[in-house]
Amino acid sequence: MNDAIASGRLMARLVDLKTIGYRLAAALAICLVLAAASDVFLTTNNLLNVLRQASLLFLLASGLTLVILTAGLDLSVGANIGMSACIAASVIKLTGSAMLGAATGVGVGLAIGLLNGVLVALMRMPPFIATYGMLWVVHGVTYWFMAGTTIYGFPAAFRALGSGYFLGLPIPVYLMFVFLALGSFFAQRTTYGQEIYAIGANREAARLSGVPIAKRLILVYAVSGAMAGLASLVFLARMNSAEGDIGEAFTLPAIAAALIGGTSLFGGVGTVSGTLVGALILTLVLNGMNLLTIDASWQPLVTGVIVLLAVFFDALTRKGGDGRQ
Amino acid sequence: MSENSIATPPGTTSTFSAELRRVPGVAWILGLLVLVFALASRDFLSAPNLLNIGLQSVILLILALPMTMIIMTEGVDISMGAVLTLASVVLAWVLAHDGSLPLALAAALVTGLAFGVGNGMLVALLKMPPFVVTLGTMGVAQGLALLATDGQSIVVSNDSLQAVYAGSFMGIPQTLLIGAVVYALSHWLLYQTRFGTYVFALGGNPDALGLAGIRANYYLIAVYAFGGLMAGLAALILTSRMSSGHPTAAIGMEFDAIAAVVVGGTSFEHGNGWLFGTLLGVLAVGALRNGLNLLTVASSVQVSCIGLLVIVALLIDGFKGKK
Amino acid sequence: MNSTPPLLELRDISKQFPGVKALDHVSFAVHSGEVHMLVGENGAGKSSLMKVLCGAYRADEGEFFHRGEKVEIRSPADARALGIAVIFQEFSLVPYLSIAQNIFLGREFPGRFPGTIDHARMHREAKQLLDQLGLDIPTRTLVHELGVAQQQMVEIAKALSQNARILVMDEPTAALSDRETERLFAMIRQLQSDGVAIVYISHRMAEVFAMGDRITVLRDGKKVASLLPGEATPDELVHLMVGRSVDRSYARNFCQSEGELILEVKDLSSVNGVKGINLTVRSGEIVGLSGLVGAGRSEVARAIFGADRVTGGEILLHARAHRGNPDKAVAAGIALVPESRKAEGLALIRSVCDNLMLPGLSLAFPSRIYHAARARQIAGALIDRLRISTPSSQRPVRLLSGGNQQKVVIGKWLGSGSRLFIIDEPTRGIDVGAKAEIFALIDQLVSQGAGVLMISSELSEIVQVCDRSYVMRDGRIAGHLSREQLSEENILKMGVHHE
Repeated sequence: MNDAIASGRLMARLVDLKTIGYRLAAALAICLVLAAASDVFLTTNNLLNVLRQASLLFLLASGLTLVILTAGLDLSVGANIGMSACIAASVIKLTGSAMLGAATGVGVGLAIGLLNGVLVALMRMPPFIATYGMLWVVHGVTYWFMAGTTIYGFPAAFRALGSGYFLGLPIPVYLMFVFLALGSFFAQRTTYGQEIYAIGANREAARLSGVPIAKRLILVYAVSGAMAGLASLVFLARMNSAEGDIGEAFTLPAIAAALIGGTSLFGGVGTVSGTLVGALILTLVLNGMNLLTIDASWQPLVTGVIVLLAVFFDALTRKGGDGRQ
Repeated sequence: MSENSIATPPGTTSTFSAELRRVPGVAWILGLLVLVFALASRDFLSAPNLLNIGLQSVILLILALPMTMIIMTEGVDISMGAVLTLASVVLAWVLAHDGSLPLALAAALVTGLAFGVGNGMLVALLKMPPFVVTLGTMGVAQGLALLATDGQSIVVSNDSLQAVYAGSFMGIPQTLLIGAVVYALSHWLLYQTRFGTYVFALGGNPDALGLAGIRANYYLIAVYAFGGLMAGLAALILTSRMSSGHPTAAIGMEFDAIAAVVVGGTSFEHGNGWLFGTLLGVLAVGALRNGLNLLTVASSVQVSCIGLLVIVALLIDGFKGKK
Repeated sequence: MNSTPPLLELRDISKQFPGVKALDHVSFAVHSGEVHMLVGENGAGKSSLMKVLCGAYRADEGEFFHRGEKVEIRSPADARALGIAVIFQEFSLVPYLSIAQNIFLGREFPGRFPGTIDHARMHREAKQLLDQLGLDIPTRTLVHELGVAQQQMVEIAKALSQNARILVMDEPTAALSDRETERLFAMIRQLQSDGVAIVYISHRMAEVFAMGDRITVLRDGKKVASLLPGEATPDELVHLMVGRSVDRSYARNFCQSEGELILEVKDLSSVNGVKGINLTVRSGEIVGLSGLVGAGRSEVARAIFGADRVTGGEILLHARAHRGNPDKAVAAGIALVPESRKAEGLALIRSVCDNLMLPGLSLAFPSRIYHAARARQIAGALIDRLRISTPSSQRPVRLLSGGNQQKVVIGKWLGSGSRLFIIDEPTRGIDVGAKAEIFALIDQLVSQGAGVLMISSELSEIVQVCDRSYVMRDGRIAGHLSREQLSEENILKMGVHHE
């Protein structure tokens, strides 16, 4: 019996490695192709650039991953970035304090996430529609707040968050690893994480096992909002300017990163580390298009197709008989 | 349900008087908006402005009518704004390359139809969640529009195109006529045909269709296809109004359409939809936008207001559903 | 009775499911103009027979004869072609379509243009059908505005509109008031005189004898009797339905002394239709909650657990008032093993370990830090203790057999500190060996001081395992049977209608 358990444990680890492994192999293959196709790809600058972009996407997508694990979705993350960045920017300008600005940015993101959580968990609104409505509310308020202006020029200490280096690596990359560790710990090594997976796998069974559904749902939407707030700071520091439309282009890639990373829209399946690989793959593809001087106009098209493919495979594996109807 | 049956005598599906009985919710919203704006701005109730609201609402109506049917099947189509944009770009491109207006319109319709059928097949055959499927196709349509135009407008100077929006027939603006025809067509489809009956069943009890030997998927695809086709038609009016095809012209317009449907009292559950409510919902969203315009409120804030309107409407829907 | 061949005859029909013989060489005939009552306790094979009749199941063996000619029923279409229509208890109605549209769904009369519907004709014919049923409601009324009884009538109208010659009804009066029932009976007599054959499943003795021309009794998938109403009394019929010698395979040592009171429910009612429930469960006893399917047993369980909203009454746990959501109930020491293990009991895609750990997470890891190795250890111990057959605790629970899945659903509560176990249908769909193990497990729970409230449709299980039992009927407690009074016959007598 013990032997069986031990071998099962080993199997489980191998399988886990396999799901991530496939994706890492795909990322590596893209790297090889790009290295062959472009001289610039393997330069330190470009590789660091890929890492930096991937880290920003990961910060956003990691919070979203937790939401999707509960079989929900947060469409407001892009708009959230916009508002958090703009309000953080004006706080920095007003007070001159980067710390205060950063705290505000995360706070605004958290507040939007909490609102989403309340609408979904307490008001029982479908997550898609609730966060879609929230997207447009937040979007409009941001535009009204900015009134077409641009806020730019931040203290160097703040800009370092986006464009600085430490020991040769961009600072956002450190953030990425910190939140990879935190996110994975939360999902795999806390009882909250276990309950979140259970909610996504079978909400009714989780409820009847005593999991406080509403509290956990509010938690994941709040975390997703706060992560969007954090991502907005990194982006703001990198761009050194804030406009109303700053976050719009992020929603689809963030969803794509989670889906490519193996998180299932049907809930209960996926890992934060998978999302990291997903963010890397997506960034590599977009970077490659850039290097091969393919017009940036292709980006929404390519991202859209990638989302469709990821959902397609998700639906296919689900049909493959994991027992859910 | 019990609440409902006490408050209102048993209604009917298709007679006008029965539809009027269901008015309250959305009529209150519309009436309130009209009242507020009439008090706030002297111009609001003027004849030219009312005509303006009507004209501006037609595109929204053409999107919202099929959106009602899609939402009735417990789905949604987020790609509609982007597909409309792409169809508009296609239409402008054909005209700019010396194509005739009928040819250009046909191209726009085919574009819309193709996306609609694609959405429908992904949702019906692969059982993929409609929200994310159409989010993906939205990216595809948006991307194609950007690629086709290099991000620039395609300007067209074609008299017959301009006549579509500006022209009138027997003193009635053609745009309004198109809107009326599409409303009549949708009403006919939903209440007079087998297709419409099955739309109610797709959301209300798909198993009943299966037991009756109806191929439900076939009709589900048709619903999305109708949505795509109408996005193509709306492109005619949009392009005519702007005399150009612009790659971001109608991005986000699906949200106004969803708002009109939700405000109009159609629910995301049980196949509970109401076409006349959508018409009123469209007018409410149109009046809101127009009124805020008159008060020189920025377009972005208008979007926020519509977002709030949707959330409030959903909350009301939720509270009703609990009883 | 008459010399013409029956309208429909089934000969030696058998249907096998994994582990259970649902129908065992059942022969059954129904004549034109006859109401044929089908009776039997839960799981006797009535619904299987009905599904074979309407083509939803394919019989493994046996032959069908229609007016004496051999026919096949392999699909719902075959059944329809023979004029068989079934009225299921779950409705096949579309809420936001009118009565007329629902009656003719999928068979709309074509209108003038292709794809259109001839509404005038549809409403006219629907009106005729409703008149025939004595139902005075406008045919344009939307179905969601109707009460359950009226919806039932629409279902019947739908069946009639298909010119059914053989109408199968599954407890059609379950949701009807007395007046509506009378109307339904009048309609059935009308249909009878029109030559329609009716197969009628019922638990209500009064209507079995009032309406039936012939009564067939099924038990354990076999036909045990086919008789005329005058040939038996209601009590004799109940005896036929039960009629087996008591099987002692799950015998246990019954509770001797009266333990401490764990649960006391006073006058409880809930949104799901249970009313005025009073019951108690003491430490060391297994209390049955029996009755027929649909009597409200699971609803009582869900109300106590907080899964359905409680609308009145009191729940006392260890003499302290308790009310709240399932998470509060779990914290207060209540465990629920729900009726449907796949829909409500298990996260099928997750591992055996994950499922076993879920309710007791905060007890096993009070710091909220989850140790996978520790969880595997705890789960491994549970797997050994319950003898769950799985190669590893990491195996997705969907890959386990039904019996092992059920052990997981019960086992997940062993680490949650529960004192009260509410177990709904513990043995549904599992084989005999696993059943014995599960009863041994339940026995172990009570011998360690827990109290168990057990719901089962298998009356023999209640009789063998429980120290005493409540019997439910129509959302209420119809009575209480002590250990000495507990027998299948007594449960049935209390659980069926004798009016």
